[in-house]
Amino acid sequence: MSGSRLAVTWRMMALAFVLPLLLILAIEITLSSGIEGFDGDEAFTRFANATLTSYTLLSLLLLGNLFFYGESRNRPLAPLVGMFCASLLGVAATFFFINQGPMLLEDNGSAQAQAIYNIVHTLVSAGAVAFAVCVSLGSMFSAITSQKRRINFTFEEE
Amino acid sequence: MDEMLQALLLFWLPVAVVPFGVWIFLSSSNDQRKTFGRFLAFVGIVMVCTSPWTVPSSPSTAAGHLLGAIIGPAVLILLGIYLISFSGHVPVGRLPRSDRKLGMFLSFVGFAWFAGMHWWILTPQIASGQVNDYWFVFWPTFLLLTSCLSSCAAIASLTIGDNRKTESNYMFMLSGLGFLMIFLGLNVDGPLITTDDFREHLWLSVADLAGIAVGGLLSVMVFALVIFVYEKTLPSPVTIEAPQTAELEQVANVIASHIGGGVE
Repeated sequence: MSGSRLAVTWRMMALAFVLPLLLILAIEITLSSGIEGFDGDEAFTRFANATLTSYTLLSLLLLGNLFFYGESRNRPLAPLVGMFCASLLGVAATFFFINQGPMLLEDNGSAQAQAIYNIVHTLVSAGAVAFAVCVSLGSMFSAITSQKRRINFTFEEE
Repeated sequence: MDEMLQALLLFWLPVAVVPFGVWIFLSSSNDQRKTFGRFLAFVGIVMVCTSPWTVPSSPSTAAGHLLGAIIGPAVLILLGIYLISFSGHVPVGRLPRSDRKLGMFLSFVGFAWFAGMHWWILTPQIASGQVNDYWFVFWPTFLLLTSCLSSCAAIASLTIGDNRKTESNYMFMLSGLGFLMIFLGLNVDGPLITTDDFREHLWLSVADLAGIAVGGLLSVMVFALVIFVYEKTLPSPVTIEAPQTAELEQVANVIASHIGGGVE
């Protein structure tokens, strides 16, 4: 596949990914003359909390992953310490921003309650993401295996 | 028992035990350890699902309640997809052709069950008439991402795949089903979930997905940076001497004895 055709394919796939969302937005704007029910402040709060929490949780997961990486490198400490600092930065940033006031504090009374709520919320969202990925990939696989068997090459005549 | 300690022991510990059990199950070659990992994960899931009753004071246990509510339809859908996939043309582990119909039936029942949670009496409720807040997080996120991923997979099979139009049509149908459910959610009230509730949470789920993508990408970039910096500080490996003529001749003889195909 040539370079320009590959770029077009990726663009088309990216467009296909956001197409359902764009269609919903278009229908909403057409029918309600605006995005009804959209609260910018609340959406920003959710976005910021999701960013901080997913960064922190995934950093901790990758920190665990570094142990396996270290097996082939005589268990070096430097990358472990580096990733540990990166994870700590995520935790510190989360508490710092939540403590700044109502900006990232949703319906929770304290920074601790908000942090715990963020973790549970992210776990539920991640569960929904994982389930959606399983359903989509599984459906694709079942669509492929349901078709007639293909012969990808022919034997040369002797 | 103190409420915090109760939540730690009966909710957070089982939450941590589930991935730990899965990890033991996947990484062990020993059968006993595999069984132990499976047992740990199962006990963890059961304890998380029962946490709304064992730790009623903790609001986090609503997530356990949601898990208990969705585990039935989710398993039906995944089992259905498994049966459809492996009753088709697969080189190993093929199931009887009749399992295909059973798989389609199970998937349909699973989706109908999920739809019944929105538009019928099956909505997960923490108390009578009070919808579980996490259902509003799970449902729009799942529908939106399924629709987006299926649409992307349909285009991918058309552009990258070779003559995959039928498969692409199936994926467009799945994407259309997700889109239709979102559209219905935005326009048809359920007994406990109004269109306004669904609309508000749909936009929040978009913010959630964007946040998860950005946060995840950042952490992967930091991870790559940490490894890159460490690898760069390592001394370059010692280079070995070039092979001598006698060694090259020996290698050439070995290769020559393995190619050609003239002798059986």
